Amino acid sequence: MHTITAILVGLLFGCAIYLILQRSFIKLVFGFGLLTHAVNLFILSMSKSPLGKSAPIITPGNLVSVDPLPQALILTAIVIGFGVTAYMITLVYRILKDAHDQ
Amino acid sequence: MISSLPVLPVIFPMITAAMILLFSEVKTRRLIASASSVVQVAITVMMMLAIQTHQILIMPMGGWAAPFGIMLTVDSLSAIMVLLTSIVSVAVIHYSITEKTEKQEHPLRLPLIFFCIAGITLSFVTGDLFNLFVAFEIMLIASYALLTLEIDRKEISHAYPYLAINIIGSALFLCAAGLTYSLFGSLNFADIAISSTLIMTDPRIVVIAVLFTLVFGMKAGFFPLYYWLPNSYPKLPAPVGALFAALLTKVGIYALLRIFGTMLPHQLWGVYSIILLLAIPTMILGAVGALERQSIREILSFNLISHIGIMMVAIGLFTQESIAALIYYIIHHVLVIASLFLLAGLIEARAGSGDLKKLGNIWKQSPILSFLFLIQALSLAGIPPLSGFWGKWMLISEALGIGAGVFVAIIVITSVLSLWSLLRIITTGFWTSSATTTTDSSNHIISKDMVAITLSLVLLSLLIGLSPNSVIKTARRTSQSLFNQFEYTKKVMEYRSIRTPHYHTPKIIESPIQISPEPIEIQEIEEHQG
Repeated sequence: MHTITAILVGLLFGCAIYLILQRSFIKLVFGFGLLTHAVNLFILSMSKSPLGKSAPIITPGNLVSVDPLPQALILTAIVIGFGVTAYMITLVYRILKDAHDQ
Repeated sequence: MISSLPVLPVIFPMITAAMILLFSEVKTRRLIASASSVVQVAITVMMMLAIQTHQILIMPMGGWAAPFGIMLTVDSLSAIMVLLTSIVSVAVIHYSITEKTEKQEHPLRLPLIFFCIAGITLSFVTGDLFNLFVAFEIMLIASYALLTLEIDRKEISHAYPYLAINIIGSALFLCAAGLTYSLFGSLNFADIAISSTLIMTDPRIVVIAVLFTLVFGMKAGFFPLYYWLPNSYPKLPAPVGALFAALLTKVGIYALLRIFGTMLPHQLWGVYSIILLLAIPTMILGAVGALERQSIREILSFNLISHIGIMMVAIGLFTQESIAALIYYIIHHVLVIASLFLLAGLIEARAGSGDLKKLGNIWKQSPILSFLFLIQALSLAGIPPLSGFWGKWMLISEALGIGAGVFVAIIVITSVLSLWSLLRIITTGFWTSSATTTTDSSNHIISKDMVAITLSLVLLSLLIGLSPNSVIKTARRTSQSLFNQFEYTKKVMEYRSIRTPHYHTPKIIESPIQISPEPIEIQEIEEHQG
């Protein structure tokens, strides 16, 4: 499980860095998208194996649940990722508009 | 009042930014911005005074107990940084609102500056790693927008390296935070400090430390990842450039201090020597790059990098005195570089260009600006008795004391090269009598207010240079408290068993979702996992 995740994270990171190094604003948007996925997967792998554990809802009989914190981190990271993506799409739009106006 | 003080300098700029967006009339917007930035200074001065009596201010957000809730933690270092932020921002905002005629200013500039300030301040007051990440993102998204807001169409490609490196840096930061969590089981600085004493020799701590050095080094402009800085900062409008140059790189330095001083054990000599080794090319290449550039703000940006190198030496030596020197140096550098960027903006506005080849005769046209620029340039290069000298002197005497003479030599060489590059601006830009300068460019007006604002920053930096004793004393005390990890963790962990009355009111108990304020149950879950 961990080996597959590690390979996948590496692959996503590699693709993202390749796209970002292309010096094109459009590819930067896609590179950033892949990068956030890579990082989110990486953080998810930090919470140990979820097998045999329940959702993190605290009731008297339920004591073995998954660690909720990495999920909270990912959720925040996703929201921040939305913000950055929205900014970058606006930037690309502005560049395209500038090119049309010329 | 004291108990909610840590959150005020963060929330206040955010509310201001939102309020500015509500009004369309330029005068109202400017009035709000101006008033708010002054109140912000008052808040941060109050914080500084509260620190004198309370040492550490802690605010548990939402009333959750210590290692689990979000604890905003302000110690002496944070308070100094927040105060510097508010001083620079009040100057930058007033410069920005007096800079242009009312039509020219982009309506989003002021709100974005306030969001950026909120992010910078949050990164100084936060007590855990994840909120540090969130603060960095607030600051960075605002800075991306500010960078591309008013940039010329042809120059927009200069924004690319800045975007790319910061996006990758943020991703690595998040990875480092994830690794830290998996190793220590916590993200709170104080909690990690406690856990790390139990596994001090674990090699994974070194991995985390190196990763953080890379991440924050990227933001601060360490060699080899500095080239984005001198290519993007000079493209910004003058006040925004001053804000970025003075504070954004310092956030990286502050974060490194926090990670190495408060969070991780103090014996990571391998990592410190990496920082020392990287400091050498950062200083030399920054100074050499400044000699090669042709416009005022590009020269200043390269000088910024060489001075980041000097700060890296101070972090790398990692003794109590070298950190005290660093804190003094940060205080000096924030004020001086901000005023130099504003002065450069004024000179560019007066002459119509910042290019040394086109400039000329500035000495006669605006003697006051030239004189202020000369003083601040000498201060930046470290000429006694100006403020730049004292930080370097403390650092050099400490380095000689522990036998790191190589770095003393390089710091001196860097200072000489730095002085040469700055004097080149004066000699070729100000003293020459080239007639190509357009003196009657009517659309470039500089008002007396702009000069007065810049002058007050210059006077402030002169003050800490001419009577450095109290500032040095504060820096030493701050460094001492930073080295006393135990005191910090003890103060935070006092909040381990708080019970806010809020959770015991009948209203909460009646709610359909059962909220458990007991952190002990969460601990039990973690035990079962392990």
